[in-house]
Order: sequence, then C-alpha cells, then structure tokens
Amino acid sequence: MATGATELAERFKKEATRAGAVVYEARDANDASSYVLKLAHEHNVKHAVKSSSTLVQEIGLREHLENAGIEVTETDIGEWLAQLAGEGPVHVPESAKTIEQAADLVAKATGEKLSPDPQVLLNAARRALRQSYIDADMGISEASVGIAETGTLVIISNEGNARLVAILPPLHVTMIDCENLVSTMEDAAVRLKSLSKNVTGHKMPGYITYITGRNTTGDIPGALMARAQGPEEEHIVLRGLT
Amino acid sequence: MTKRVHKALADENLQAALANFLPLVKIVRQIALTHVDFDALSKEIRRVKEESIANLPQLVEQFKTEATRAGAVVYEARDAEDANSYVLKLAQERNVKHIVKSKSMLTEEIGVREYLENTGIEVKETDLGEWLVQLAGERPAHMVGPAIHKTVEQVAELLSKATGEKLSPDPQVLLNAARGALRQSYIDADMGISGANIAIAETGTLVILTNEGNGCMATTLPPVHVAVVGYEKLVSSFEDATAILRLLSRSTMGMKMTVYVSYITGPSNTSAIPGAPLLSGQGPAEVHIILVDNGREQMRESAEFREALYCIKCGACLNVCPVFSSVAGQTYGYIYQGGIGAVLTAFLHSMDKAKDPASLCMGCMACKEACPARIDIPRMITSLKAKLAAEEGLSWKSRMAYRGILKYPERLDRAIKVGSYLQRPFTGKDSLVRRLPYPLNSLTRTISLPSLSHHPLRNRLKDFSSPGVGAHPKVAFYAGCVAAYAYTDLGEDVMKVLRECGAEPYYPQWQACCGAPALFDGDVETALSLAKTNIEALEEMDPDYIVTVCPGCAAMLRQEYPRLTATEPEWNHRAKAMSGKICDFSQLILELTPSAEKKPSRNKRVTCHDPCYLKRGTGIYSEPRQLLEREGFELIEMADADACCGFGGKIVFDYPELSNSVLQRKLDNIEATGVDTVVTNCIPCVLQLRGGLDKRKSNIKVMHSAELLAQHKEGGKFYEKQRSQS
Repeated sequence: MATGATELAERFKKEATRAGAVVYEARDANDASSYVLKLAHEHNVKHAVKSSSTLVQEIGLREHLENAGIEVTETDIGEWLAQLAGEGPVHVPESAKTIEQAADLVAKATGEKLSPDPQVLLNAARRALRQSYIDADMGISEASVGIAETGTLVIISNEGNARLVAILPPLHVTMIDCENLVSTMEDAAVRLKSLSKNVTGHKMPGYITYITGRNTTGDIPGALMARAQGPEEEHIVLRGLT
Repeated sequence: MTKRVHKALADENLQAALANFLPLVKIVRQIALTHVDFDALSKEIRRVKEESIANLPQLVEQFKTEATRAGAVVYEARDAEDANSYVLKLAQERNVKHIVKSKSMLTEEIGVREYLENTGIEVKETDLGEWLVQLAGERPAHMVGPAIHKTVEQVAELLSKATGEKLSPDPQVLLNAARGALRQSYIDADMGISGANIAIAETGTLVILTNEGNGCMATTLPPVHVAVVGYEKLVSSFEDATAILRLLSRSTMGMKMTVYVSYITGPSNTSAIPGAPLLSGQGPAEVHIILVDNGREQMRESAEFREALYCIKCGACLNVCPVFSSVAGQTYGYIYQGGIGAVLTAFLHSMDKAKDPASLCMGCMACKEACPARIDIPRMITSLKAKLAAEEGLSWKSRMAYRGILKYPERLDRAIKVGSYLQRPFTGKDSLVRRLPYPLNSLTRTISLPSLSHHPLRNRLKDFSSPGVGAHPKVAFYAGCVAAYAYTDLGEDVMKVLRECGAEPYYPQWQACCGAPALFDGDVETALSLAKTNIEALEEMDPDYIVTVCPGCAAMLRQEYPRLTATEPEWNHRAKAMSGKICDFSQLILELTPSAEKKPSRNKRVTCHDPCYLKRGTGIYSEPRQLLEREGFELIEMADADACCGFGGKIVFDYPELSNSVLQRKLDNIEATGVDTVVTNCIPCVLQLRGGLDKRKSNIKVMHSAELLAQHKEGGKFYEKQRSQS
C-alpha cells in the first residue's frame, strides 16, 4: 500500500472509530465476507437488506450469507427484480426486460395479481421492500466515498433505498474500498460532482447521505446517548489496496 | 418579563436541568475546537454568508431553476400565513391525515404545526427533544436542544403519558420507548415536513443535518416531502455548503461532523421498471420546497441588521450566554432565544415583541466570541434598543435620569452629594451600604453597595498635578462614574502608581459619564452629547495616553464615540484621534516600565477575573496577569475567569435576581480557588464582586490592580527602581 493511501486509511479508521463506528480492515475478499458473516451470527441476523454494491458482489458476500441461511433482500428495484429472477445483481436484468416479465416477477414475489402497469408495479415493489427494511436485522451498504478527516461514509442513491438500508435496521455494515477514501470534505465534494455526472447523467444524485459514526441524541437528560433512532451499531469494512 | 425571569430562576427542575446541560456543552465545545483553526473556519463562513446574502436574488432564481429541473416544486411564500396555507392546501389535496416533522426553527417561527393541527391533521415531531416539547405543550428552550430544560423525571412523565406505559426515569428505558413510538409514525405518515440547514443553488439541493437519524426517515419514508426553508439558507455551491457544514457540526454539538447529513435533490426516482424511464423511487414522489421571507428581505435591506441573516442556528451563542444559562430559552418569550433571538424576533415577528428579549442582554459579548459567523450580536442589540426607544420614546424615569442629570457633570455631582447625605443612616462603619429602604431596596438585596463620596474625584484630584512640557508621557485619567463617585481612594491610587512609574498623570476636570447607560437604554441623543463633552475634556491638554479603569467606559470612548459621531465629520475626526490613545491601566503600566524585573515571591496567591469589555472587548487578558506575576504574586486561575460577573447591561437594575444568579456562579468559582484576593481591572466588576462577597460574609478581598500595587509597594515608593533607571 502506498504511504499516502496508508495514511488516509489510518486517519479514516481513527476518526470513524472516534465517532462510534467499528472499523474492520479486511485482508481480502474472504476475510471481509467472514467478518460480516461472523457479525451476522453474533447478532442472530435472520434477514438482511442490502443496497447496490459492486464490492459486495465482487466478494460474493450475498451468497456467503445465503449459504449460511440468512435471507438477503436486494433493495435497488432493478437488482431486486434480478434477484427474483435468479440473476446476479444487475441493474437491468435480462428476465425483466419487458413490463410483462417484470409484472410476473413482482406478482410472484408479492403473491398479488398485478397488471403490467409501471406505477402499479412500482407501488407493489415499494410496499414489499418497505416491509423488508422494517423486518431486517441488518443493512448492508457500500460507500462511494469515505472522508478521512471526519471518518465519514458517503452513500449515494436515486431511489432512496440506500438511506433506508442505512438507517432502519438495528445493525448497519458498510463496505468501502480504500481507493475511494479522500482526505477532506472539499475533496469529497469534488469527487461527488464528477461521480454524479458520470454515473447518472444528472447533475446530482437524488440522495447523498453522509454518515459519521453512530447516531446519538442529547435530548434525554443525563448524557449524550448512542443509538437514537438509527442503528445500534455501525460497522465499516475497509477493503485495503492489494 | 420580570415574572418569567423569576419563575425560571425559582424553577428547581429547570435549574437542575441547566446544571446538567451546561457543563456538558462546555466540554464538548472544548473538544470540538481543539486542533481546529476556528478563526480561519469562521472567516470562511462569514465570507460565504456575506456573499450569499449579497447575491440572494440570483441565488433564488438559480435554486428555483435547478430544484424544478430535478423535479421539486418550489413555492415562494411572503409570510407565515402564505407558507402555512400552501402546506395545508397540499395536505388536503393529498388527503393527508398523519404528518411527521423533523426539527426546524422556521417551522416554529411560522407555527405550521399548530396551523395544521387546528384543521384536525395529526402532526408529530420526530426529533426527540422537539417531541418532548410538543408533548409538554411548550416551545423549544434552545435552537439545538429543545428540551434541555427538562429533567429525566419530567421526561419519564411525558413519555409515559404518550406511550401509555409506566416508564421509569432511566434514560435508556426512555430512549427505547421513544424510538419505538416514533418508528411507527414514520411508516404511517402521509407527509414529512422538514426545514433545511443549507440550500445549494447550483444544484437545487437541500442539506439536512440530524444526529438522531429522524431527518433521514421523515424525508424519505412518507410519500410527500415538504421542506420549509428561509431565504437566508441559500448558498451558491457545494463547496460553500461544506464550509458551513464544517463549523455547524462543531458549534452545534461539539462534533466534527453531524452523524447524518442528507443532501436531497428533487424527489426520489428509479429507472428500473421497464417501459417507464423515470418513476418516483422508494422515497417521496413529491418534494415541495417553500422558500419563506416573513421579514427576511427587510432584514437584508437593513445595513444595521443584515448580519443577523448570517446566523446558521448553531446555538453556540446560547451555550455561552450567562443569561441563557440562568433562565433558558422559554423565558425570552418567543421562538428565537438569546441575543440573536431578540434581533430575529424584531424582524420575523414584531418590533414590540423584541423588547423583552433585548432587555435580557448583559452585553458581555460572550456570544460574539462564540459565533462561528462572527456576528456582532451585542452591537445589534444596542441598535435594536435605540430603534425601540426612538419608536416608543424613553420612559419618564430614564428621560429624567439621562437628559436631566447624567448629561451634565455638575448636576450629577450635586445629585450624588444629595445621595451621599441621604445614605448616611444606611452606611456601615466600613463604608458599605447593606440595606436601602424602599423603593431602592432591590439594589441591596443581592449585593452590598459602596457608599457615595461626599466629594467627587474631580475635587480630590484637582491639585494632584498638572502636566508640564517634559520627557514624561502625559497621561489623562478617565475614571468613569463608579470610581468618580464611590471608589475615590482607588482613583487616587491610580494616579500615584502612574506617577511612580514615570508618567505625568492628570485628571481632566470636566470629564463626564461616558454615556453607556443612556446608549444601552436607547438614548442616543444623550450618549452623543456626553461623547462631545468627554472628547473636549480629554483632548484639552493633548495627552499621550488616556488611561481607564473601567473597560466598559473605555469601549464607549474607543468604539462607540466614532460610531455615534459618524454623521458629524469634525467630531468624528476628533473621536477617532482620541480613540487611539485609550488604554487599560495594566497595559499602560507594562508599557511604562518595560525593563522592570520580576519581583521575588510575596507568598501571596491571587486569582484574576477577566472583565467582559477588557477581554472580549479589547483582547486584554494576559497583561493583568503578566503584571501580577511580575510583581511577585502567585496566580491561581479560577474556572471561567472570563464569565460575566452579572453587572453587565441594565440587568442589575432591571432584573437584580437574574444578575445575582450570574454573580453567584462567579463567586462559587472564586471561592473554589481558595485564594484571599481577586484582582480585576474593572471598577464595576469590583463593585459587584465586593458587594456579592460581602453578602456571603466572605473574607476574600476584591481589588483593582492599581489598589493592589499601591498597597503592596516596597520601601515607600512602588516603582522607585524603575523610575531612577529611566
């Protein structure tokens, strides 16, 4: 690992830890997967929700969890359809190319009879997914950017699913690649601007959520308390440069 | 107002809650500001806010274009009614029954919750503190911590009632119950209402900060999101937003970063359903942004009050405000608390409602020092009082006191002389007045007063010296009223020590009151007249220095006189010329005796109280300490040495109990040091501290540096050695 990159990773770890997150630096794909699996077992996780992540896909985390008997629901609607069709997590699945195919998939998943109308399908998908966030014991995300100076994770989505994955379940794990660490908030702003232009063609993604450590409240007299309305624990799996 | 102040001071729960809250914020603030260049960051915020407010019309247009392009609906509301009726109409059209709301001062300002509730719609606050305040049927106590005035027992009671369970006053039990109760509300809600901490024009983005996570849920789970945003929240770019973000988190909760920062650009969307390129996604299908004026444009147009729009609502000013620390936010009577609250109230509510909150300002400047946007709140309060006085006229009492007596030195001399006779029966052998009869009894309820001198200082120092033409620096002594009419011995000490340091001190005979009492009561006319009297008196012999023993007077002379004379060029020129010569006693002594060696230890421990106007007003705090240590005293620092003693502003007359509450905290800190002498370079502070310690029957002495030096001189003359050298 280059010295600059090592310093960034160290700073990020230090700041995120200070803010109440638990940071794990994974040696490789296996190590990352087994950390999350162990965490899931420790917390008796039965059901996880996840938002779009190439890193998770790369290390085959979903399969690892599923093999251990943990149900993992994709929450990006495209990826959810692919999951329903038994395809890998792709945004536009082969088996949901037409509205009729999509209607079949959603109908099968929800047990409702659905007409091939986009709005009808979307509403059904929303309902089904909404329940998943609420039932989930664990949320799995990927951060597009990590800010070393504050230990902040930056999570992007247009659908809004990533925010719900990050906040509703009692346990939240975020994967981040060391390559995506930047030094300052200003660097993050620059990175986000270029990212959003490249990825979606929009000026800005609909939702950018900065998460720094564990949620807190000072509103109950006595002391500053951890876990206000979000997750009880915030874990970060940092994949090093190899 | 007096009733509210008394109620707050007597409220045991409130005082217990404050005693719990205040040390906590002090610690987090300290942590947050270590290793941070607060100065550089606040300069940056100031720049961003100045530019944003200056370019506001362009930013509004750009924001509207970009937010609309991203799919949001933007509405510009003139006032509270306009904004509220827009929300209500929308709610009715969407058949909304339940609303969740995240915390926003603007929604408090326009009263949108009450407005909707009156039509039968259920609105639930989701910030825990705000929810508690809602349950209690109150207003927030603090911009950031709405329920800081509650004790854990009170919270248990409120939440038990709300959840229908009997909850024990255990913070964890309460938090779990609250979380559970709120979670369902997000899911059931048909609409989410939020404010925004920042709005970015270049992308049409809203930035919302929460530590609890409620902001994310309230803006994502319900199908309609309404954001109510004041115009002053607009900034140009993502980078400008970052500058604010950096210091907002630190100033607010003492965190490097707020836990959740949401950037929201338009409604949620998805392109995953075949055949429909862009449907709303899993968050709201509609985002409505209401930009609210409600008096902001008027504020923007006012040169005097524009900077109030730079406020980022971090609450740092409240955490350091001695008055807020005693009475908390509800006492101010309206939505916005503290000094900044008084100014905001004047424009966002009404001028007359600002009168009460403005009257609570002690002018200690702690807020100005803590403000990340460098807003000069005390100056605005002074302007506000002047505006109020101009609109309503002065009370007959104030008019008589300022224009009838204070304005004329000889009349004041006579009045004091009469007072000195009248006080005789109430004066003790030690020259202290411990109990005055009605209607002056409130003055001696909390402190003992010094007796008035029969002869003013000007008579006593008439023949002290008159400066010749020579090598010695000519020093004009400006005493201020307390030294001129009560502590005249101290006045003489000042002259002696100065002479022994090689200066030629003299007492300009026709100096008058500096005018501060009149100015801070809004009587600009009298203040200006006194400024002219003093300029004439002090410039007469063309002194090299003008030395002061009251930093409040010094601030008047130095800063307010140039401002008061701004429209009269000739006077303004003279005021500015004079302003450069004004110095504090300790500062001047060090300057006159630069080569003095450190004296051997006197085995005497003292503590130092920093007067507000000396430390924050002039930046002088190391000089008095240097002087003490050089003279062989051992300095023991007290906690919060620079916290106000409670004498500031007119508080001591208007709300003596409040002043006393501030004083008592100071006295506790003094006593905790275990020393027998407090040194302070401000005569009114001396009066207040002496008076308070006497009521406590404490043996701790309070001394001005001049007295301490004069009383601890060695071998007759204090500075003999240095003098023979020079």
